Amino acid sequence: MTTAHHGALQLKVERIEAVTPEINRYTLTASDGSWLPPFSGGSHVTVLIDTETGTRRNAYSLMSSPYDASQYQIAVRRVEDGKGGSVAMHGRVHEGDVVPVTIPANLFPLSKHARHHVFIAGGVGVTPIFAQLEELSMKNGSFEVHLAVRGPEHATLGRELRERYGDRVSVYGDEDATRLDIAAVLADRPLGTHVYVCGPARMIDDVIDQAHRQGWTDANIHFERFEDAGSTGEPFTVTLAKSGATIEVSPDQSLLEAVEESGFKLPYLCRGGACGECETEVLELDGTLDHRDDWLSERDRASNAIIMPCVSRASCTRLVINA
Amino acid sequence: MLITGIKSRPVYDRLAPMASGLRHLAIAQGSGGQPMLRLLADMTPAQRGVATVVYSSESFTGNSYEAELRAVDGIDLRLCASNVEALQVLDDLLSTAKMGTRLYLAGSEGFIGTAMQRATEYGLDRDEILREHAGSFVRRVWCAHCNAYTENVTQRIFRCPGCGLDLVVRDHYSSRLAAFQGVKADGEVPGELPEIEELDT
Repeated sequence: MTTAHHGALQLKVERIEAVTPEINRYTLTASDGSWLPPFSGGSHVTVLIDTETGTRRNAYSLMSSPYDASQYQIAVRRVEDGKGGSVAMHGRVHEGDVVPVTIPANLFPLSKHARHHVFIAGGVGVTPIFAQLEELSMKNGSFEVHLAVRGPEHATLGRELRERYGDRVSVYGDEDATRLDIAAVLADRPLGTHVYVCGPARMIDDVIDQAHRQGWTDANIHFERFEDAGSTGEPFTVTLAKSGATIEVSPDQSLLEAVEESGFKLPYLCRGGACGECETEVLELDGTLDHRDDWLSERDRASNAIIMPCVSRASCTRLVINA
Repeated sequence: MLITGIKSRPVYDRLAPMASGLRHLAIAQGSGGQPMLRLLADMTPAQRGVATVVYSSESFTGNSYEAELRAVDGIDLRLCASNVEALQVLDDLLSTAKMGTRLYLAGSEGFIGTAMQRATEYGLDRDEILREHAGSFVRRVWCAHCNAYTENVTQRIFRCPGCGLDLVVRDHYSSRLAAFQGVKADGEVPGELPEIEELDT
């Protein structure tokens, strides 16, 4: 099995396919031809992307089969007004290139106790479901998929799933222009049903809200936000207590990105405010923290003593973190 | 040999209406009728209107709250003569229940544990269930040798009705089996039994 150096695997871009006008699928293999570390359905990797303005670290769900250790597949949607990572993946990365990729981590795993799995996705949010369904169908799990797309030209991945799994997959917004009705999808489900949602923030919030209205508890609601949780905002300055370094966080970068750009390291995993890995102690604060994560509790937020540098910011004259 | 201070024993709740639920399923046995009556009194009329109550009058201590439960207006009450029957009714109700259902359990440890096994099979999560212990702490014991279950065990040493071995009841509660483990009491030296004592029932 291929091993990681400095936390990253060196993977060769074996194949690039355009699957929609905005989405490319990348097939990655170990550059030394050996096996890749195993993963479970719902896992993601972080790709270290070389851009004109430095290295971007973008998280992408693995969509290949968890039972195939010879390759990883990811789908990358080009975001023109983003931070340049996806644009570089589309424009600068070619077949045959070697890219650094972290080993897989799973923040969106299947529930092992569910009696029925309902997947709801929007657009490129369908990618983790590919791997989850491979895992479920091997285990004969009961499932159904509801995928919303913006038109027939964006429906390729949904059609692939329909070919594999038939009527268990519903694609909305393809040629028949049907609409996904989240409340109806969640209504009158048997006990032990779990819902998984991956897509735009509004879709995730709608699913959580509808599920709560119908009496679901959080243990049965699983979600993964693929959008940049918003690490843009007003600039601020942070001081790292251990080195004394003072770092400017510009409007278009996160606290974590600014620290990394200055040559320091913070622990991280999801870079989306979900996993808790980058939780950092706030030692001094003159101002207010702008918490944007899904990790901290209300009490943690109010304490002003912890921050998640991957997404959260501050509006302050002084901020010292224990790093 | 025996563990003291039983960490594996479930920490029980106090039954109270779970406001996020759309339907309420409550099952009690014996002394569990008392917390059940309190739960029903704490519910709004609307919650009672979507509540199904299953009550078994089988009881180790002889307490029955059947008459009091009959007197509660506006609930769907199912009365059962035995715990086995009540658990079968629970199973039938769970098989058609929908997401948004909340489950309330009250009674002996063995009864709650067995009901929990059914609930887990149907995929109910801990945050959809409240359980309140009532009555004595008599133990349900699983024999490690013949797989038999014995209800209402009160002594540290007892003879397994399944295989006839003298068992010592260990202080480990298995949530999966909903029982304490019983193992051969004179396994080290045949005929040499540990002291016979009353369990902390």
